Amino acid sequence: MLRVEHLTARYGAVVALRGVSMHVDEGDLVAVVGPNGAGKSTLLNTVAGLLKPVNGKVLLDGTDVTGADPARLVRAGLALVPEHRRIFRDLTVGENLQVAGITASAADRRLRLDAARQRFPILDSRWDTAAGHLSGGEAQQLAIARALMSDPKLVLLDEPTLGLSPVMTDVVFDLLAELHERGRTVLLVEQNAHRALALADRGYVMRPGEIAAEGPGAELAARDDLFATYLGGGVG
Amino acid sequence: MSTFVQTIVDGLGRGSTYALLALGISVIFGVMHLVNFAHAELITVGAYLAYFLSTRDINWWVLAPAIVVSAVVASVATERIAFRWVRGSSPFTMLLTSFALERLSHALWQVFVSPTKKSFAGPAWVFDTFEVGGIRFEWMDVATIAVTALVLALTAFVFRRTLFGIAVRAASEDFDAARLMGARANRVIAGAFAFAGFLAGVAAALILMRSPSAEPALGSDYLIKAVVAAIIGGLGSFTGAVAGGLALGLAEVMLRGYLPEGVWERLTDAFVFALIAALFIVRPQGLFTVRSAERV
Amino acid sequence: MPSSGLSAERAERLGRSAIASGAMFAVTVVAATVYTSSGGAARDLLVQELLVNIVIVMGLQVFIGSTGILSFGHLAFAQIAAYGVALTAIPAATKVGTLPDIPFGLGDVELGPVGATVVAVVAATILGAVIGVAIARAGGLAATMITLAVLFAVDQVVKNWQEMTRGAGGLSSVPRLTTNTWLWLAALVALLVAHVFRETRAGRFAVAARDDEIAAPAIGINVFWPRWTAWVVSVALVALAGALRVQMIGSTNPKQYTLDVGILLLAMLVVGGMRTVSGAFVGTAVITIGNEAARQIGDTHEIERLPELFLGVALLIVMLLRPGGLLGDADIAAWLQRRWHRSRRREAASPGALAGDEPASDEAPARSAASSGTGSGWGADSGSGSGALVVRDVVVRFGGFRALDGAALRVRPGEIVGLIGPNGAGKTTLFNVVNGLVAEESGTVMLGDRDLSHDPPHRIARAGLARTFQNLRLFGTQSVRENVALAALAARRYRPERVTVEVDDLLAQAGLLAVAERRAATLDYGNQRRLELARAAALSPEFLLLDEPTSGMSNAESLAMVDHVRTTARHVGAGVLVIDHDLAFVTRISDHIVALAEGRVIAEGTPDEIADDHAVAEAYLGRRDASTPP
Repeated sequence: MLRVEHLTARYGAVVALRGVSMHVDEGDLVAVVGPNGAGKSTLLNTVAGLLKPVNGKVLLDGTDVTGADPARLVRAGLALVPEHRRIFRDLTVGENLQVAGITASAADRRLRLDAARQRFPILDSRWDTAAGHLSGGEAQQLAIARALMSDPKLVLLDEPTLGLSPVMTDVVFDLLAELHERGRTVLLVEQNAHRALALADRGYVMRPGEIAAEGPGAELAARDDLFATYLGGGVG
Repeated sequence: MSTFVQTIVDGLGRGSTYALLALGISVIFGVMHLVNFAHAELITVGAYLAYFLSTRDINWWVLAPAIVVSAVVASVATERIAFRWVRGSSPFTMLLTSFALERLSHALWQVFVSPTKKSFAGPAWVFDTFEVGGIRFEWMDVATIAVTALVLALTAFVFRRTLFGIAVRAASEDFDAARLMGARANRVIAGAFAFAGFLAGVAAALILMRSPSAEPALGSDYLIKAVVAAIIGGLGSFTGAVAGGLALGLAEVMLRGYLPEGVWERLTDAFVFALIAALFIVRPQGLFTVRSAERV
Repeated sequence: MPSSGLSAERAERLGRSAIASGAMFAVTVVAATVYTSSGGAARDLLVQELLVNIVIVMGLQVFIGSTGILSFGHLAFAQIAAYGVALTAIPAATKVGTLPDIPFGLGDVELGPVGATVVAVVAATILGAVIGVAIARAGGLAATMITLAVLFAVDQVVKNWQEMTRGAGGLSSVPRLTTNTWLWLAALVALLVAHVFRETRAGRFAVAARDDEIAAPAIGINVFWPRWTAWVVSVALVALAGALRVQMIGSTNPKQYTLDVGILLLAMLVVGGMRTVSGAFVGTAVITIGNEAARQIGDTHEIERLPELFLGVALLIVMLLRPGGLLGDADIAAWLQRRWHRSRRREAASPGALAGDEPASDEAPARSAASSGTGSGWGADSGSGSGALVVRDVVVRFGGFRALDGAALRVRPGEIVGLIGPNGAGKTTLFNVVNGLVAEESGTVMLGDRDLSHDPPHRIARAGLARTFQNLRLFGTQSVRENVALAALAARRYRPERVTVEVDDLLAQAGLLAVAERRAATLDYGNQRRLELARAAALSPEFLLLDEPTSGMSNAESLAMVDHVRTTARHVGAGVLVIDHDLAFVTRISDHIVALAEGRVIAEGTPDEIADDHAVAEAYLGRRDASTPP
């Protein structure tokens, strides 16, 4: 479904990715873990078109979409739940979801809005509230619900449990498991490495700019040298 | 009492056009952080169109919509010709680009039409008045307020209820997040320019009915008031722009009405500007604060 | 030695300004002489026009160029000065006829040209200084709007206060100056002032604040003063231009001070490149001459208003194709500076002292500086220093989110403390609280017995807390040396009790001497990081606050950074509080580590203790046992 080849990206003067290659197969949930500054967010942002890579390729379903506009990628079936959620705080919950359905036909949009109301009762109950008034957990659910409005084949999530309480973290992980079960392909960047890898079919461990290790999620989760990678410079 | 009501009506009438123009400036600022000093040139475009058409004896019922359409087209054209290429530049660069366009517009009318004022005929009923409860009203004042109210209601509808309007508001808050939702940057921005052009076109039609004449620098006076109104309201805040425009109109008329005669009365505008300067000392961000997506 | 070096530098700065101004002046004289050698009075008028424009645009450059704040209001002060001259210089006998109702007893005043000019310029400048308080405080777009409002207010007063001004018609019979001498003198003065201002403390601080409004206070600059000073100096120059012009023409004319003219003058500033004096000069010449050429072409081909067309097209093309102006950042004075520093380094290197100049190893200069630094090491600190940095119970909320929830830590003088924690733990927020960028809801920040909790960033920097930024905040248009020199200048001024640090020593230590004359923005990433550290160190701080100094670095670079941070901190006698995600780096460098999660301290201790701490491991990786989803 998604294939990234030798991707090199800069963020200002920093080389944030150095020739990273990875892939996500249809129906899989793939987790990317690693310390802050390893380039996980840069990877997602480059795939989603927010950042133009210096070098390398991004293929979606075999089509080269390197450096394509995010709006085009959404139409090609890719949705990113960005870091810090970036919900529209001045818009109501309902308006956030409507904007997110901008690529759908009016009829589809209505169907999906109804589906969202049913799947997320908490959002339904706060439909006309400005999104800025939502709690962290509610805002994250809105961010995920928003990504689903374009009915994407591939969902990218950047640190969806950041700053959430343990209870809300559980809710988000349940939601990810549900997406996976329903057959959506998921690429997840997550701080909570153990949980993310335990849930994932496959996983990647990053260290600054590079992939340090890859393999089945459960296998990576059991490796004790993982913590050493987080310490920085411990691996290789 | 009756003079008070007349003053209010007068002030609202004047403030209406400022509000329409300020709203357009604010909408454009919202989506691309441009303070568009070329915005009021759309009035000039409408004025010359009206001048050319009126020589062919065309009725104002046709003329007014034509003015609106010309402003929309011109507004979108400025985006395509100039502003698209400086998108994402520093606000300073964009501001000066809009200035260059403003200069260019003045010069083109001067060179290719005429540097002098061209007058034409307005609708006959403009200065007619009627009386309610001993208070005399001008039809034009009432028409201006009514049309503005209608257009503002339409604007509220567009920004609250249509997908386009909601997308513009989303893009104003966080442009990249809006693109991640699938909103196309070019369409949102061109749409914002078109809508701003529509608002300016309505303002132009109202202004031209009252004072039907065209000259190259026609837009300048309105521009300043509109920019000031938009900034008083807090750039990017749509409610703020309308409030700023109406407040500015009322302040002008009130000060003129209540300052003592003689030197003081003649200095009304000077006082208005002094008040505005004072406002920015107290509230540098304007009356309404706008959330921005920037992070330190 | 440092003092003589300092005065030599000052002499060099003045010399450079004089040479650059002299060169521009000479070019103008030659061009004007050649141009006026044939042709009549019309050509002389163009020269007058050019000279007036030079004075005004130099004035604009001093403020707009150095602060980056757009102003429309300067012409208002030219107009005030023009009317000031008119009202004081028009013969009393004339005034009885033309201005019968003139207030304030101005009817009897009759000054000579010098007296009238001085009175007018001083009056306009004082008024400008008062309004400048508001402008310098507001900054940004709000400041621009105030200047616009001032322009219109003054315009309205002039047009409507007919007892004083006779309205739109203007005042005539102002005694005229018969030669251009005064104008030439004013142009020379304006060029000199613009160049010299850039070399003064106010000028350099203003530029720093223009390049980065957050980094400037972080080295102790109160952005208000340099902005205000720049405003006052620039208003004085523009007022001088107004006062002289009215005496050249012999009458006032409100049409010369409108927004349209203001934009023409702004275009002159911007087309050449507003950030430098050279750019302003070139722009003035290009637009003035182009405008005149367009007018003549228009006259011969009977196209009216061709100059306006020229102006619009020229400005649009420059904005679309070269938004930085024709010259960009090229500048004669800056070029002279680079040459001077290069030749000075060659001199220093030539007497057989090959070793030690190019610091392939950072050690040599650092050691020598440390040993010669008369006890500036950390041992001697307890005497001069101001005690420990103590943060207590800090709470910060963004919306409903508690970014900091009772965070606390202590750094002793000379100590290196590492601050770690997962993404979103509140590390950077804690830094922002300590240096005043974010206001805490409750809690205190103390440096020794001084409470810094409610101080603005520049006061906190002056108290001795210097920081670096996660996303790098350098003064990008300035040279590498100037970045460090600005902080050293601030240190000399605001922290006189501390031993001053030599700029060259710090640059050598950071391995930046070879690139010292390059623009900071053109450095590669590792060098930018080291430069930011050197700049912070140049403040001679009590504590260095480093926000992710190794972010984006390879392992080898991170490792080298351990020694580099240590030497630098010891060199200036500062303690260190460092945030980093690279735990290997933090473990190696720190004496003590504090771990933060969800806004609270979850563990602290020696690096070994932290490495074995379960809470820390969990915060980073998530709980292992609870990891299996149902």
